[in-house]
Amino acid sequence: MRNWMLYTPLAIFLGVSIFLFTGLFSDPWTRDSALLNRPLPEFDLPDLMQPEQRWNRELLTGEPFLLSVWGVWCPTCKAQLAFMEQLKEQGVKVVGLYYPLPVDPAFGEHFSLGQLQRDVRQQLQQFGDPYQFNILDENRRMSMDLGVSGAPETFLVDAEGRIRMHHVGDINPRVWRQKFEPAMEQIQDQSDTLVQQAEVNQIGASH
Amino acid sequence: MRSLCLLLLLSLSTVWAAGQEILPFDDDGQRKLYQELTQQLRCPQCQNQNIAESNAVVSIDMREKTYELVQQGHSKQEIIDYMIDRYGYFVHYSPPLNALTIMLWLLPVFALLMMLLFMLRRKKQQQQLISSNAPLEQELNAIIDAYRSKK
Repeated sequence: MRNWMLYTPLAIFLGVSIFLFTGLFSDPWTRDSALLNRPLPEFDLPDLMQPEQRWNRELLTGEPFLLSVWGVWCPTCKAQLAFMEQLKEQGVKVVGLYYPLPVDPAFGEHFSLGQLQRDVRQQLQQFGDPYQFNILDENRRMSMDLGVSGAPETFLVDAEGRIRMHHVGDINPRVWRQKFEPAMEQIQDQSDTLVQQAEVNQIGASH
Repeated sequence: MRSLCLLLLLSLSTVWAAGQEILPFDDDGQRKLYQELTQQLRCPQCQNQNIAESNAVVSIDMREKTYELVQQGHSKQEIIDYMIDRYGYFVHYSPPLNALTIMLWLLPVFALLMMLLFMLRRKKQQQQLISSNAPLEQELNAIIDAYRSKK
């Protein structure tokens, strides 16, 4: 009884120390997205460069792709363009979701599409263009449905249009290797088995 | 001095009003609901500000959406669920009750129970210490009696 009492303060101290020590290395920015494994939300938005072309969820489903939320106002987005262009050359489909920023949030939206298109074209020419096309998120409603809190953020969407990963922050070689590559392989495996199943079903049906 | 006070007062008022727009509401109930919600919803971009205080773009968008939903007559819980659906439980200041967070409620109760148990045990031990020593008590009583009879 006495011995047990003697070691209790030490045990409590060690417990608290370990808890606080692990807290030193935890990142308050990483948290699970509410949208994981859910289908992409419904939307109907114009293309950034050809506004008469409109995009929706059905047009995007069919193959896995990265949905990259970005804007010319965001320096980190600019920094990741070159690496993402390499990904495009490796055959990764990247779709941009343009997150427009009001000039001064406190004074409402002042927005000129022509100016924005010029800025975007210039930046993509200068730093690299990974995007197959860009969707203009007018009023940032799509971004809200996706739980986007800023830019850059990237979603990995699979062939069935489900969100498989929500990455907050930039994409760099390390993040790509550690986070995206395993997820991409998983998606690839799943779609392979789906194709195999479909083939088996077809063979079964033809017999 | 007076002008300095006035200046301080003025600067304080602008800080307070920074995140507040003047919004028209049909009735005071809706205004109250909007104010409650913007203070209880947490800005996902900034680490510890509610959306009423924050001027991050995402907070402005969330305030607008909250206003829109309040105007449409949605209940408080519906609006909170709408935000949690998009930004996760992080967005609301009161955490949900689940296997991971149950500790927040149980740990204080557990600590309180342990302390009560400890105190009761000690009291019992002390009582035992006195009552278990009957010959000693008799001896003491005898001494007290002897002392009193002397007087």
